[in-house]
Amino acid sequence: MNLERLLHTLPLRLKSIFRGSVVEREMDEELRFHLEHRIEEGIAAGLSPVDARLAALRAMDGLDLRREQIRDARRIHWLTDFVDDVRYALRSLRRTPGLTAFVVLSLALGIGMSTASFSMVDGLIFRPYPVPRPVDIVDIVSTTRDNAFDAFSYREYLDIRRGTKSYDDVVASTGLLPVGFSAEPGATPRVRAGMLVSGNYFRTLGVEPPIGRPFRDDEDEVAGRNAVVVLGPDFWKHEFGGNPSAVGRTVRLNGTDFTVIGIAPESFPGMLLFQRPDFYVPLTMVTAFATGHQKTFLEDRGHRELAVRGRLKRGATLQQARSEMAALGQNFRRDYPDLNRDRGAAARTLFEVRTRDEAGEWKFGVIFVVLSIVVLSVACTNVAGLLLSRGQTRTREIAVRLAIGAGRSRLVRMLLTESLILAIVGGLGGVAVGYAGIRFFHTLAIPSELPVVLPFQMDVRVLLATLVLSIVSAVACGLVPALQGTRIDFVSGLRAADVDARGRRAWGRSALVVAQVALSLMLLAASFLMLRGFRIGVDAGTASVRNRVLMARFDPRLVQYSADQTLQFYTRLADRIRGEAGVEGAGLTQNPPLGLGNFDRIAFVPEGYAMPRDRETFAAALDSVDEGFFSAMGVSILRGRAIRRSDTADAPRVAVVNEQFATHYWPGGNAVGKRLHLDGATGPLVEIVGVAQTVQYRQTFEKPMDFVYVPLPQHPGPRMMLLMRSAGDPHQLIDPLKNVVRSLDANMPVSDVRTYEDVYRYNAVEGPGTGVEIVGTMGVVGLVLAIAGLYGLVAYNVSRRTREIGIRMAIGATPADVLRLVMNKGLTLVGIGTAIGVVLGLGLERVMNSFLFNAGGVDVFVYATVVPALLVVTALAAYVPARRAARIAPTRALRYE
Amino acid sequence: MSKPNDLVQGTLDLLLLKLLALEPLHGWAISLRLRAISGDVLNVSEGSLYPALHKLEQEGWIKAEWKTTENNRKAKFYALTRPGKKQLETEAANWKRLSSAISHVVQLNEV
Repeated sequence: MNLERLLHTLPLRLKSIFRGSVVEREMDEELRFHLEHRIEEGIAAGLSPVDARLAALRAMDGLDLRREQIRDARRIHWLTDFVDDVRYALRSLRRTPGLTAFVVLSLALGIGMSTASFSMVDGLIFRPYPVPRPVDIVDIVSTTRDNAFDAFSYREYLDIRRGTKSYDDVVASTGLLPVGFSAEPGATPRVRAGMLVSGNYFRTLGVEPPIGRPFRDDEDEVAGRNAVVVLGPDFWKHEFGGNPSAVGRTVRLNGTDFTVIGIAPESFPGMLLFQRPDFYVPLTMVTAFATGHQKTFLEDRGHRELAVRGRLKRGATLQQARSEMAALGQNFRRDYPDLNRDRGAAARTLFEVRTRDEAGEWKFGVIFVVLSIVVLSVACTNVAGLLLSRGQTRTREIAVRLAIGAGRSRLVRMLLTESLILAIVGGLGGVAVGYAGIRFFHTLAIPSELPVVLPFQMDVRVLLATLVLSIVSAVACGLVPALQGTRIDFVSGLRAADVDARGRRAWGRSALVVAQVALSLMLLAASFLMLRGFRIGVDAGTASVRNRVLMARFDPRLVQYSADQTLQFYTRLADRIRGEAGVEGAGLTQNPPLGLGNFDRIAFVPEGYAMPRDRETFAAALDSVDEGFFSAMGVSILRGRAIRRSDTADAPRVAVVNEQFATHYWPGGNAVGKRLHLDGATGPLVEIVGVAQTVQYRQTFEKPMDFVYVPLPQHPGPRMMLLMRSAGDPHQLIDPLKNVVRSLDANMPVSDVRTYEDVYRYNAVEGPGTGVEIVGTMGVVGLVLAIAGLYGLVAYNVSRRTREIGIRMAIGATPADVLRLVMNKGLTLVGIGTAIGVVLGLGLERVMNSFLFNAGGVDVFVYATVVPALLVVTALAAYVPARRAARIAPTRALRYE
Repeated sequence: MSKPNDLVQGTLDLLLLKLLALEPLHGWAISLRLRAISGDVLNVSEGSLYPALHKLEQEGWIKAEWKTTENNRKAKFYALTRPGKKQLETEAANWKRLSSAISHVVQLNEV
């Protein structure tokens, strides 16, 4: 319809909708005008006034019919019909408040759970970068055989920036770095999260500070020249009370003075998923940030720490960017073969980055979504079953409507309106449930040094998803009952109050029950699997000591220590602590098992090992530890020896591997005495001097992983964690620790002082516990819904067969016969449902095991408990109405109609 | 809901558009014109006139306005809109094509 016509038609439509009475009056007036003229004409022709009037009406061929046709011409009857339907639906829903409440509640639970899970998946996978035109941002990654998302070095970043044509510009940033921050020079530094970024970072991302200015491109050109800092919005509010005069002030970061030049906008909490940088500093200021190995940051091509992102040029495609990066990766390999063996470069979308295999969280999100959709389907089948039963008792009403000329599509629409209202109300309830669910996610307190922000929230995207879910479920629950309810032989429909179902219709409802039982069994199996996955091995390894260990994090870079000073500090720290009363043992580690931090990965080649043709090196997780670590942490040495104090930087290089590693590369043989090339195929040879027990390193449900321990002096790290095992309550060690540190260096910041139990509880108990609770809740809700559905079906069947039961009893059937008759069907359905559920559950278990867990093979125990429990419960659901049926007095049953 | 003596579907629209293209008219005047012009050949039911008019109005091809008649009574006058004029041209052209085709067929010599 073109615009000019719309100019004429739109006012008419609006008038019809909003001023219907006026339109009606005008129509009547127009018709009266015509009739009056016609009557005058008739009288003039000699008819009597009465005859003239009759003739005029006759000429109209039925005035009311014509009126109706005129109304149809207005093209808004879909709307008026809809309003009528809504009114009708509300009235009939009010008549059955219990049923309505049940239906709304089931839908609210189903939709709410899906909403909460979707908010999780949205936050973890789909939410775009908080920058303008986020789809143009491409992540550029270095790829190795073991890591498809590796970082680049500063030198490589410069080459990428120069050597690519697909992007407006390319930016680089480090991860979050703990930085000693003091708002005033002289104040004791506190650890805050800083990020080094390229000078073009804000400009290229399109982030404009509302106060102050962003970095200029030339501010990351000369090492150490531009001591400027942009504050994150949250940090600015907390630390400076949101005062705009913060811009221009001098703050001290790791002992160097920086000038605040701008505040990042509220809309830009940073590019990281779980964490928010407190401030941003140009890359070249790395010199002011750190000593030791950070010196190589700007020069060493192998020092890969930068996340690189590009903004695609207008008209450039992802495909171009990808092939460009592949070519660039080849150039790197050609120009720097030593550093880039096995290494390439690639462009990745945000989706690819977020769903990479190493990041586990999104998988939980996906599992939750799948399971919550299953719950929603159970709720929907339930609602469909109820509506179907209701449609049956409404047979007569529908037959009457069909008989007086209602079209079937019109009736289907009417019935669908009803389920739409149910779903909308259920959807509103779902928003409430979903909101509660999201709040529940947020109650998880994550004990980490730098604050973690869970990106789950109820926003427009999530609400939109909820709306779609509600409408889909309305159609899903309502369509089948509506179609079946209106497909009736209305002659018999008019005759009887309740037409007997033909086989096909009964089959539909039975299928619903089977589906429900199967789905809820599957949910229960899944939640048991998760429970088991999380529980498995929780008590292995560190169990005996974990409630006696205190941890503290140190980073001597914060006070400008050199590498030698750092090592010396750690050695003295550990020695002094071991001498304190009440300390049973102390050790140093980069990150304790299940400690929430990341482990370094190291490339290695076992000496004399026949490498597969397609790979140069293997990789394993690595930790630098001192001689006290194994006993302090309670990790036992199975063969050989632990790290010793004599394993200094000058001594022969040694390593301890875990049992998994040992059996992986020397199956059946003894790994002790074997040697590895560490740091690549041409790296130094390191002798394996001991085999430690395999524990859980990242998660309690992880698959056993290869792990290498090396002596701290031979693989020094600046950020270490001190573990102290107390004879009693670990909190008693806090004061002695502080005293020792003060006596070594009064300015040394100690951060992250907490018991190992805290971290362990979160990582092994609460975090997984939350997951188990969520899935368990889903399983229970699903089961309750399924039982309600089964009960409803059997009860409904009984009420419909009341007369039949009466006849049977009148001619001699015993109550037991009736009971058997009625229960038979319920139990058959439960049996079929259970069988299907077991198959589905086994399938799901397989998927989850390969996807996420290490819960071993099929869990017979789960099925041995869940299946009989389900059978008993569902049998009860069938028994209660069946029993009622058996008790009916035959005389009453025969009269029942 | 065509009555048996209603016009071929669509032709009434064409007639109405054509009449209103000449001058704005109210419903009664249109029915008089229809009778006068087409005589006994085209028996337009007065009843189907108004639904047709309202349909054309809702399509945006004609517009209505309440005006006083020469007898000083208020009546709803219909007039052609610009899109209506275009529609009339298309429909008239269609009609010509159709009728010439049909008369062509009718005039074929039987063997």
